Amino acid sequence: MTIRTLTLASLKMFVRNKQSLFFTLFMPFIFIGIFGLVGFDKPQTIDVGIVTNAPSTSTKGFLDSLNTISALKIYNGNDADERTALQKGDRAVVLIVPDDLFPDPAAKTAPITKDVTILKNVAYEQQAQTAIVILTQLFDKTTLQIAKAPTLFALNVQDINAKKVRYIDFLLPGIVAMSIMQMAVFSVAFVFTDYKEKGILKRLLATPMKPQDFVISQVITRLLVAVTQSAVLLGFGALVFKSHIDGNPLLILLTIMLGGIMFLGLGFTISGLSKTVDAVPALANLIVFPMLFLSGIFFPTSSMPGWLQSVVVYLPLQPFAKAMRAIIGDGAGFSAIKGDLAWVAGWAIVLVFLAVITFRWEEKRM
Amino acid sequence: MADIITVTNLKKTYGDFTAVDSINFTIHQGETFGILGPNGAGKTTTLEMMEGLKGITSGTVILDAKNVSKETREVKNVIGVQLQSSSFFDGLNLKELVETFGALYKQKVEAMELLREVQLDEKAKSSVKELSGGQKQRLSIAVALVNKPKVLFLDEPTTGLDPQARRNLWDLINQIKSRGVTIIITTHYMEEAEVLCDRIAIMDNAKIIALDTPTGLLKLADVGTTIECHTDQVAPIAELQKLTGVTQATAEPHGFSLKTQQPEMTLPALFPFAQQKGISLHDVKVHQATLEDVFLKLTGRKLRE
Repeated sequence: MTIRTLTLASLKMFVRNKQSLFFTLFMPFIFIGIFGLVGFDKPQTIDVGIVTNAPSTSTKGFLDSLNTISALKIYNGNDADERTALQKGDRAVVLIVPDDLFPDPAAKTAPITKDVTILKNVAYEQQAQTAIVILTQLFDKTTLQIAKAPTLFALNVQDINAKKVRYIDFLLPGIVAMSIMQMAVFSVAFVFTDYKEKGILKRLLATPMKPQDFVISQVITRLLVAVTQSAVLLGFGALVFKSHIDGNPLLILLTIMLGGIMFLGLGFTISGLSKTVDAVPALANLIVFPMLFLSGIFFPTSSMPGWLQSVVVYLPLQPFAKAMRAIIGDGAGFSAIKGDLAWVAGWAIVLVFLAVITFRWEEKRM
Repeated sequence: MADIITVTNLKKTYGDFTAVDSINFTIHQGETFGILGPNGAGKTTTLEMMEGLKGITSGTVILDAKNVSKETREVKNVIGVQLQSSSFFDGLNLKELVETFGALYKQKVEAMELLREVQLDEKAKSSVKELSGGQKQRLSIAVALVNKPKVLFLDEPTTGLDPQARRNLWDLINQIKSRGVTIIITTHYMEEAEVLCDRIAIMDNAKIIALDTPTGLLKLADVGTTIECHTDQVAPIAELQKLTGVTQATAEPHGFSLKTQQPEMTLPALFPFAQQKGISLHDVKVHQATLEDVFLKLTGRKLRE
């Protein structure tokens, strides 16, 4: 009865606390909204500048055909402007095309080699190379056509409908993991340090309540919040961004519980180490902030330098987010994620142990 | 009257520091017992050991026939506690707070009735943040009463309150006392101790240096009454010394002062004497001895320095 009353009371307080609602729901909503709308899914186009003066009709026809290539974005301008744009980093390559690139079909002159100068932006080496390959192919094809050479190969491209993994599908399970971390760490660290600093915990000890009942009620409250917030965020992603949600709900629940307990342990540890509420944000952000960006929430860890990758896989958030993504994104079963869950469970044990040894009901004044 | 609390050789040490040094006292059922002393004297530590909040280094506290260090939970069930700097959850309104605390004693409480008793029924839907200092202390007392305690501990309940709020709280405390609740109160306000307490223990440097009724303490210290007079003439100290009841006459920069055990005799004698000697008196002040004087006499220091 005591635990139930305390849990209900702390749920009420949680919902009424604007700060915890911000970290629990509002911030993840913003992240999903912003990153969901930015659209990293569209392939990036390569910016190509074309410099001509008064191109002949057939030259112009050739240049216009470049616009149909979806991978390229074509800009036309004079020599000086395009060079400036290249130097500013707005172009991957700039082509300087002679006006009479293609001879007028009427003038039956023998074909001669024309020079096309390509200015390559070395800062965009990869993009520039891609553009040059595409352009070379186009020039070759045109040469063959003009030379009326026979077509020896025909490429037959077939469409296969595969599962489409969009950025939102990558993002959403990670955001859920991250928001559980934010909620568990910040709500416990702030609230418990506040209770301790103000003497509320001591006041509770003056009642016949079992001290562990109070801690248990706080943990239950936050695990309930973690499940609710996960459901709300996944529902939001599915409804608004048509995100794909897979996986066994019980396995998702188990993972949320393990991750929740792990980060509650961290929250209690931070609260144990903080004498005053003022000390909490510095300490909490010092630990939480790097994890936020290094645990493969917003971009895959594979895009990081190797040495960093080998460090971040040990951070508590990384295996948790990875497990969530494997279940929700790919419908992975228990055996596929048990390695990640083992890491989460290991961290949970370590952090809960640290929480227990740093926990104080009041700050000693003596 | 029966004793409800017996404190025997109670001691608390932190390393080399002794916060409470082997104190002994008993508290009678239904009385208001004051512990008076300067900051750091060991009042709060004494209280918290009696409440089962702090470990006892040595000695015993028996409260309502229960040993506090062995039957801590049983003791907590029959006491109400107001801590010196306790606040409450901001996220709950007063009614919810009182009910939540009731649940910790596994008791259903009439929250509104309790709030009415401390004149906070109109604030039932407010949060603690919206209360004034005096209202917070009254809430704190209401919460301490949820389990209908036999013994109520109040640790400096009026510190930091304005005089109006302080008097208001004294009325409330006397009202609770009238129901037969034993009250233990710490304070460093002399006046408060005199108004509220049946008996007072004066604590200084971890020890109880005196314990008696307020009247008894005033007698014990033998400080009597002081009559202060301003005059432009030179006071005849030797003759003043012979006036009825005067124990000591002292020359002061602009007059003289007389210590007396019988001010009602000394004053009528003083005026004819002055007239006869041609001494014109102005600013005659009579100081009743206070616990402040008692403390000064006992320790050689002022209570609040």
